[in-house]
Amino acid sequence: MEVTFRIRRQNPEDPAKKKPYWQEFTLQNVAETDRVLELMHRIKWEQDGTLAFRRSCSHGICGSDAMRINGRNALACKLLVRNVGSKIQLEPILGLPVLKDLIVDMEPFFDHYRSIMPYFVNNSPVPANGRERIQMPEDQVFMNDTGNCILCACCTTSCPSFWANGKYVGPAAIVQAHRFVFDTRDEATAERLDVLADPDGVWRCRTIYNCTPACPRGIEVTKAIGEVKLAVMRGTNKGVIKASDIKVNH
Amino acid sequence: MTSLVLTLTETLRYKGALGQWSWVLHRITGLGVVLFLVLHVIDTSWAYFYPELYVKAIAVYQSPLFTIGEFALVACVVYHAYNGLRIALIDFKPVWWRHQEKAARYVLIATAVTLVPVFVLMFSHVLKHYQSPDVQVLGLDAVVESQIPFIAGFVIAGFAALLLSAITMAILPKSAAGPKAKPTGSQIERFWWSFMRLSGVLIIPLVFGHLAAMHVLQGVFDMTVAGMTVVGVPVSGDATALWNGINASGTAVEFVGERWNHLLGGVAIWRVFDAALLMLVTIHGFNGLRYVLTDYTSFNPMLKRAAIYLCIMGAVVLLVTGIGALLGTIDQTAVDMAKEATAKLFAP
Repeated sequence: MEVTFRIRRQNPEDPAKKKPYWQEFTLQNVAETDRVLELMHRIKWEQDGTLAFRRSCSHGICGSDAMRINGRNALACKLLVRNVGSKIQLEPILGLPVLKDLIVDMEPFFDHYRSIMPYFVNNSPVPANGRERIQMPEDQVFMNDTGNCILCACCTTSCPSFWANGKYVGPAAIVQAHRFVFDTRDEATAERLDVLADPDGVWRCRTIYNCTPACPRGIEVTKAIGEVKLAVMRGTNKGVIKASDIKVNH
Repeated sequence: MTSLVLTLTETLRYKGALGQWSWVLHRITGLGVVLFLVLHVIDTSWAYFYPELYVKAIAVYQSPLFTIGEFALVACVVYHAYNGLRIALIDFKPVWWRHQEKAARYVLIATAVTLVPVFVLMFSHVLKHYQSPDVQVLGLDAVVESQIPFIAGFVIAGFAALLLSAITMAILPKSAAGPKAKPTGSQIERFWWSFMRLSGVLIIPLVFGHLAAMHVLQGVFDMTVAGMTVVGVPVSGDATALWNGINASGTAVEFVGERWNHLLGGVAIWRVFDAALLMLVTIHGFNGLRYVLTDYTSFNPMLKRAAIYLCIMGAVVLLVTGIGALLGTIDQTAVDMAKEATAKLFAP
């Protein structure tokens, strides 16, 4: 089959291509099981070597190739032609500065990520055997879902609140915070909740629900944000999530 | 400005699901209600402060432009109420997000189902009004002209907020205006988040009661019919008394006076009702406006500060004028002034 690509391109270093523009590419002999990322490789290798995009593992784990595909954020390596049809429109994710074509500057995104202290904090003495801090399976389920985040930025850059206000910490950083806030072994909950209680913290979330379907890992993003909001409200993570609230078929 | 334009265009371009459109509608309907609230509270306060201006204001409300606006207003309130309930419920139990899309559809259906009979009843008032032989309609030019003070007021308030913001920024030490230090917990946003949800739920029965009484059972056209009863006020046997449940003079001022002066067990229940509605809706509305304005002005600290000042000013003005009027006494003089103004209103 034949597939047409419409790609939003931009090259701030070239005065003629400083402004974003659309370019079309047509590919022949495409199977409906081909991944969008593979076809982008074919464009780059066979038609236009200047096309710029990020990818690394190409198996939906590294989170490098987030882009807006046919109007919705997704990973190019996780979508097949049969998921998106024979007309494919690609744009960079929105809300972060475009460096070139589909590549955006992720630094502001990672700044928000770092602001929520995305690391395990526990200052109590190491267990007597000197090994890991053991957690019960029934405690571990609370961070099961949000622990799947790969920081691809699909959710944060699908959020109209983030488009409007880049200071908003954004869904991804809140999901990451959720993973530590609801980690029963972590001891920095109060500090983390304090960061998220900022006016540009969780409160900029208007429950628009663009983030949840955008997540390539199927994380219940808006639910996680809602739980962090409740934890911030109550000043504690205790009792916010019921065991019955947790998705079983993960 | 760029962030507003970008968000608007990209919201249209991004293929978000129903949740995104619910959010768009929630903002539009909220802004619509706040805009009307400003006109309505200030206009209604004139029933006490300037009875002759109130007569004019009600004639404006009876004009075709405002009749269309009234239908739009009722639709805005109903959608905002139902969708607000959806938001509050899922915020209370985040796991219910799995039903959010279905809930958003139910909100649309419930809004439509509510609006059909409501619009039929409202339209029957319109029909009755235009069928009466002595109907007098204020011209569009007069209606537009009557809104000029409001437009001027909005512009002046905007400039005042900008000026105040600029002065504060100049006085404040530079560090406060610079890049934010490590964010710290803000108690105030926690309060507002809970307040919006709690007040929203409390407002729903109040505003639905208000709409039922003042827009559906009786409409704005019934306020100026001489000898008509007043909704929510029982007719007393004393025909000679001014406040007897009958709008004898057929002036909007007497209509309001009948409601506000009606005592049930010694309590002016309609004043209490209106005061509760006024306070909750004004604070809810202007905090909502602050949310919307600060979302799109975060790129400029001075604009953002001005947006907050504007919302505080708006809320204070409405609360002061509204409560001021509710505490006032409407008497025979006010009704006489209204009568005189009504006679002059359509005089050539």
